[in-house]
Amino acid sequence: MKPNCKCASEPRRGFLIRVIQTVHAGIGATLAFVVGGAVIAPSFSRREKLWLPAGTMPQLAEGVPTAVTLRIARSDGASETVDRRVVYLVKTGGALQALDSTCTHLGCRTRFNPDSKLIECPCHGGVYDTNGNVVSGPPPSPLARVPVRVEHDRILVEV
Amino acid sequence: MTGPLLDWLDSRTGYRALVRRALDEELPGGTGWPFTTGSVVTLLVGCQFITGVGLTMYYVPAPSLAYDSVRFIMRDLPLGWILRGLHYWGASFLVVATVVHLLRVFLLGSYKAPREVTWLSGLAMLLVILGFSLSGYLLPWDQKAYWATTVTINIARSTPLLGSYVADVLRGGPELGALTLGRWYSAHVFLLPATLVTLIVAHIALMRKHGISGPIEPAAAPGEAFFPWHVMRDTVMMAAVFASLFTVAALVPAHLDAIANPSDANYIPRPEWYFLSLFQLLKYFPGPLEPVATMVVPGVVIGFLILLPFVDRADGRHPFRAPRRVFTTMVVAIGLGVLALTGLGVADSPPDDGDDWGLLPIAGWQIATDEASPCTRCHAPGAPAAPLAQTRITRDEEWLLSHMADPVALAPGVRSEQEPAPRPMMSRFKAQAVVSYLRREHAGRAHPVIDEAGKTAALTYAETCVACHKLGGEGGTMGPDLTHVGTRRKAAGIKAVIEDAPEMYGETAMPRFKDRLTPAQIDALANYLAARK
Repeated sequence: MKPNCKCASEPRRGFLIRVIQTVHAGIGATLAFVVGGAVIAPSFSRREKLWLPAGTMPQLAEGVPTAVTLRIARSDGASETVDRRVVYLVKTGGALQALDSTCTHLGCRTRFNPDSKLIECPCHGGVYDTNGNVVSGPPPSPLARVPVRVEHDRILVEV
Repeated sequence: MTGPLLDWLDSRTGYRALVRRALDEELPGGTGWPFTTGSVVTLLVGCQFITGVGLTMYYVPAPSLAYDSVRFIMRDLPLGWILRGLHYWGASFLVVATVVHLLRVFLLGSYKAPREVTWLSGLAMLLVILGFSLSGYLLPWDQKAYWATTVTINIARSTPLLGSYVADVLRGGPELGALTLGRWYSAHVFLLPATLVTLIVAHIALMRKHGISGPIEPAAAPGEAFFPWHVMRDTVMMAAVFASLFTVAALVPAHLDAIANPSDANYIPRPEWYFLSLFQLLKYFPGPLEPVATMVVPGVVIGFLILLPFVDRADGRHPFRAPRRVFTTMVVAIGLGVLALTGLGVADSPPDDGDDWGLLPIAGWQIATDEASPCTRCHAPGAPAAPLAQTRITRDEEWLLSHMADPVALAPGVRSEQEPAPRPMMSRFKAQAVVSYLRREHAGRAHPVIDEAGKTAALTYAETCVACHKLGGEGGTMGPDLTHVGTRRKAAGIKAVIEDAPEMYGETAMPRFKDRLTPAQIDALANYLAARK
């Protein structure tokens, strides 16, 4: 027999249990909101895009992707980190395009092979042409285009 | 729908029997509200654990980043301010709740045989919680952290015989620094939590073994079940305390001083309020008597509490009747002593002028953020250096001053004396103003509202007066401190001194500024200074 002498008041007991559950759930939910929110929030923050200089037009050879390393200083939690992004600048005719060098398969860094005139990924054999289109291998999509503009022969890319 | 699943889980684990065993306890008749203090402590410990885990995801235990990581949590992290607020205020709530619980146990004589070990485990928890507080406020590596810890370690040095070894172990090296922070952090997040959890488990197991002590005079009423009747009281108290904690954390931001600066002689260290009584006690036992305050008095109080259940063996739990009256008198005396010392400590505290923006930082603010500022050329989004508001101060003041004179040098200040230095980009006085501004910006102080006259006064002060006159703790010492000059002189008098000090004083180091400053500059300065009461 339970050591309970208020057994007669079963409805009251049920009510109390619901109140207890609600209050504890409320405290737990408040803590979960604050701690969970603070833990999750930075995951969804995005850096503002910046236009960074990436050399000048006369430096580029016709039809040959030129890899340019961009340094992006950004605040990283409490500290600062310099990200290095490599983009290919490709001049064909008068047109200029900038391609992100990150392989669209699993994110490895591709490199331009001057012998085959193709952009190759060292990880799983993805191959792209100089316009970034997939020639062979597993990449699901062409290399990402990076917005680019030219001001008085100075090349600016948006990263 | 979950029914069959839970049935299966129960058949494999037997959890329902466990829950029933945990909740079905018969309490003595008349067990009431006083017996909810332990639940409140448990709730607060739980809160500290959960918010602490959240904080460790962002906190970095290294002197170069600790302060900035706390600043990041407070300023940039969504919900970070309330996360740290809950942890910061939760610490104070926990100390209070633990002492209230101890007083309840004392007043109702609940520690008496056979509950001596329960009492001892509780005392151990009180000490662990104070250890949490002590190690916790070193972690932000701000001025308070640095100096309070320096004082704590020097107090530990006064331990008889082993003092200097104890101090070295606490510090982890000859000086306070990265090694100290590392071990205090480890203690705060691993050692102390593990100890506390072990003690809580032991404390609750012992409480269940002997049962709740119940009211002093066993009530004639029949006993009642712990769940849900007493749990309801616990729940109401927990909800009230949690709501208060949340309100305080939401309304009063957690404290963060300026970054630790070992060379700052102006900072007056103050411990947190729960150590203020000990801090104050030290003032009354100077010199060779110091161990009385650091060791003897706390030792006697703790020793008294430890021995209490072994001395108080006679029957009778009423606190105001013999034989317990004498112990109650002693506890009341200790409590009054702690309260009186805390009160005296609060009364002795210097006013907090941390938010005060003197003319120097205001001038630095103008210089650094002005359109023509040389700083913003590099300190801008996408530029080589982070914007000033985000910049961390990881270098000492000398480096910063050299950097402002010669911003492109990688290691300012190491140029040999034979080599001609380039013309400084910024005068040393201006650079000092900028450093002063950066310290306030960095400490998250809200920007003041300044009119044109204020700006003029600030820039004039920073370029001229600062060489000889202190204002708000910063400046030269050749001339008098101008912080409260408004109590001594009116604007007209100040103006007369600035315009022509030799005329006023005869022999004086202060030159005549009538021809060197414009009337507008002199008026702005005189008006600003006259308002400094």
